Amino acid sequence: MNVASLKAFTRRPPVIVAGLVVIAVLAFLAVNRLVTRFREQEKALARHLYERGVQAQDTGQPERAVSDFRAALSYARDNFDYQLSLARALRDTGRTAESETYLISLWERTPQEGAVNLALGRLFAREQIFDRAIQYYHNAIYGFWSTDPDARRRDAQFELIGYLVQHKAYPQAQAELITMASSLPHDPELRLRVAGLFAQVRDYEHALSQYDDVLQTEHDNQAALYGAAQAAFQLGRYRTAQGYLQSAVHADPKNADTSQLLKTVTLVLQIDPFAPRISDAERNQRLRSAFQTAGDRLDDCAMTKGLDLSPASPAVGLPALKAQWLGLAPKMKRLRPPLDSASLDPVMDLVFEIEQETREVCGPPSGRDQALLLISQDRAGVER
Amino acid sequence: MTDPGAPVNPDEILQASAPDNGSPFSSDVQPAFARSSSRQPSTDRSSSSRSWFTLSSTREERFFLLLAVFIGLFSGLAVVCFRLAIDWTRIWLLGPVLEPHTWRLIATPTVVGLIVALLVIHVFPLVRGSGVNQTKAALYIYNGYIPFRTAVGKFITAAMAIGSGQSLGPEDPSLQIGASLASALGRRLELSRERLRLLAPVGAAAGLAAAFNAPISAVLFVIEEVIGRWSAGILGSVVLSAVSSVVVVRWFLGSEPLFRIPAVGLMRPTELLAYAFLGVVGGLAAVIFARAIGYFRPRLRAWPRWTQYFQPAAAGLIIGLIGYLGAPQVMGAGYDYMDQAMHDQFTWKVLATLALLKIVATTLSFVSGAPGGMFAPTLFVGAMLGGAVGGLERALYPGLTGSTATYALVGMGVLFAAFLRVPMTSVFMVLEVSGNYSIIVPVIVANTLAYVISRGLQPTPIFDLLTRQDGLNLPSLEEQREQTVLRVEDAMRPPPALVLDAQDSVEQAVRRAQDLSGTFLVRMSPSGWGSVTADELKRLGGEGKGQMTLGSTLLTRNLPYLHPDITLEAALRHVYHVPLVPVVHRADFRRLEGVISRDDVLEKYKMTEED
Repeated sequence: MNVASLKAFTRRPPVIVAGLVVIAVLAFLAVNRLVTRFREQEKALARHLYERGVQAQDTGQPERAVSDFRAALSYARDNFDYQLSLARALRDTGRTAESETYLISLWERTPQEGAVNLALGRLFAREQIFDRAIQYYHNAIYGFWSTDPDARRRDAQFELIGYLVQHKAYPQAQAELITMASSLPHDPELRLRVAGLFAQVRDYEHALSQYDDVLQTEHDNQAALYGAAQAAFQLGRYRTAQGYLQSAVHADPKNADTSQLLKTVTLVLQIDPFAPRISDAERNQRLRSAFQTAGDRLDDCAMTKGLDLSPASPAVGLPALKAQWLGLAPKMKRLRPPLDSASLDPVMDLVFEIEQETREVCGPPSGRDQALLLISQDRAGVER
Repeated sequence: MTDPGAPVNPDEILQASAPDNGSPFSSDVQPAFARSSSRQPSTDRSSSSRSWFTLSSTREERFFLLLAVFIGLFSGLAVVCFRLAIDWTRIWLLGPVLEPHTWRLIATPTVVGLIVALLVIHVFPLVRGSGVNQTKAALYIYNGYIPFRTAVGKFITAAMAIGSGQSLGPEDPSLQIGASLASALGRRLELSRERLRLLAPVGAAAGLAAAFNAPISAVLFVIEEVIGRWSAGILGSVVLSAVSSVVVVRWFLGSEPLFRIPAVGLMRPTELLAYAFLGVVGGLAAVIFARAIGYFRPRLRAWPRWTQYFQPAAAGLIIGLIGYLGAPQVMGAGYDYMDQAMHDQFTWKVLATLALLKIVATTLSFVSGAPGGMFAPTLFVGAMLGGAVGGLERALYPGLTGSTATYALVGMGVLFAAFLRVPMTSVFMVLEVSGNYSIIVPVIVANTLAYVISRGLQPTPIFDLLTRQDGLNLPSLEEQREQTVLRVEDAMRPPPALVLDAQDSVEQAVRRAQDLSGTFLVRMSPSGWGSVTADELKRLGGEGKGQMTLGSTLLTRNLPYLHPDITLEAALRHVYHVPLVPVVHRADFRRLEGVISRDDVLEKYKMTEED
């Protein structure tokens, strides 16, 4: 093959196309190598900037963190962690609008992502947009978490409950707690936390139940004993509360709160004229004692406030109560056991009314007056 | 034998190849592939006997389409490398994070500006200026010839300039690199001049598509700004090259657009007012931008030659100072900051400031002769301005619910339409980049207003302005688009008082025309038109044919006829040989709407010229 025929051969279209294909493949490989190398360098650079940003955030330099996260993102634009960190850093620097836009764009791409939803929930919570905050918190609770999903979901739910409690949305918080409690593992710490939250939303029944669960495995758990006692106390189950409190004091005699509550509970149980299984004489004595305590409280309160309780005073408020008390006093002297409810109830009604009125006028009482007030709050709740 | 890579004297080529009407895509030239060199004698060197092209025209077309794919592939690869080069240079020279109050921000663009100036003046003199205009010049003047050295030079100098912080974009150089590669490939394959000429826009589309990662916009831009008209002969190749280059870029760099687009959309129709306002502001900004470049560029070029060594450095120094003092966002192409603007990360005041500073910085960079394009800066200014207008409107009227991203995106289109004066491309660019058609109405409203304002206040588009400053006379495609097309109805006269009928006897015709002279139209039966002169009628009467019908004796039958909406340019071919041409209704060819003659056409052209 001479030069001329070779030249003619190379000018044939198929040969040209083949030549172009070879060149293209070689160029492709070369560029691929170049791009791969560049990408690796970019990745390393992004990682370095991200770590610097995290460090800045940890050391309380959110502005610096924002700058580093942004720079990191310019080299790894799709990195989820970097984006989320930037959004969080923006939120921390108070740039909620920027943070929101960022998070919303992340959310649009991965609406199921728990971390994004949680960040959005926190953002809206911070902005006091209640409904949207709850919506994203819920998304986070039921969203996708790549690592330790149960714990992350639970944390999100705890955060939501905390937010609801903070906003006094007790029924919603209670609903969340009931859902959570149903799937809670047997971890005393978690149970205690849930029980505490139940108590915060004033669902003492569930709180007591959670404390009981803890106490089944850890009989001497101080927090559980005290919490259970508090819950029982709030439910008016003073006998139950006394049991928990006695155990608690036994385990930790130096705990002043426990001791104080025990004293109160014991006093309630000691002076309650409605208590079951007490003798008529005892009931009679308790009734007299309650009547006298109320009368003393009335006088003390009037004296403190400089009020005149004489019959000449207007027949309203404390003077009226004093008049009623004086009216019942002769009857009390004639009172003989056995007592029926017709003779017991009018006296105790007056006692409770005096305790409540004096609380309004002179502030919360202590000692026996406090115990009478507790008995008045829920007569039926008192375990007899 | 001529070396295909050797420099060509543009004057020689111009004389040898100037197309009939100045356009390489005129109707005579348009089916160039189909006709191929074998059909038409050509002075072209490669259409001679030594050309390897011995294929049939259909196979030639196929081969050309295949070649377009390869051009796309190579352009895509080149643009990938170009983008990496810019990024690498930026990281190396300016550091991974652009932070204000860093000495690098001032030193780097200044020193690199000096080096770039040396390279541009001594090593790559052709890289100075707009790649779009150079590609147009290659197409219209240099028969598709763009030296390969230009591609290399543009690659190196533009990467250095943009990477060092000059406020320029990589799209224009990418376009030129693509065109240059295509031209080099065409010359290596010894393609004919006609084909070589067509390769430049094919490569340009590939380069631009790769740079923008948006094939539709690139094709439209090349059609709208470089080629000037839709031509079936070139469209397929342009599309193929654009698509293949984008495939390559996406393969290596991912399919993500240059900036991430958050959710955008038009919330309520009343917001169109806000977008209309954006259109007005964008149009005015574009005029300021274009006028600044138009004013300073020739003045700086007129300064003594030695100053040109320092002009890019001086521009770099000022831009570096802007960055140092707190606005490093204006340095480089700025895509990252457009992304941030879209994500509400600047207040409207910051956005407005950045838009203003970017106009200043880009004007400085561009007029200093630093190589780079204006596409990215245009988008940057548009995004910032859009975001600023959106932010301001929201502050004043909190009821407006449009996101900053929507305003920024529409703002990009606005500046694109008003500054680069490519209205079609601007609309499709926004749609293609956002992938969201819900904003088409605001985009159209804002772009149209901006375009109209810009055209009213700055009649010469920026690319034409640059061309004229460079002393070239390239066709202004906007002027072509906007030119009033003269039609037959503009030049025709009302129907003559006498129209003869083919059924008339010659005697009757003579009688009716006895006081008249000139040429009479004859309505033929059942259709068609003929003509007869007064002298002919007299002669026929004298020859004793008075009783015969006019139709049977006519010498001029099957007269060509025109319709009122036909262009005068097309009508000229018909009126040239016929003294009087009937203008008839399109639905009824026997209904005469008027008449037209060569003199009427010429008179109309003359009047238009005088106007």
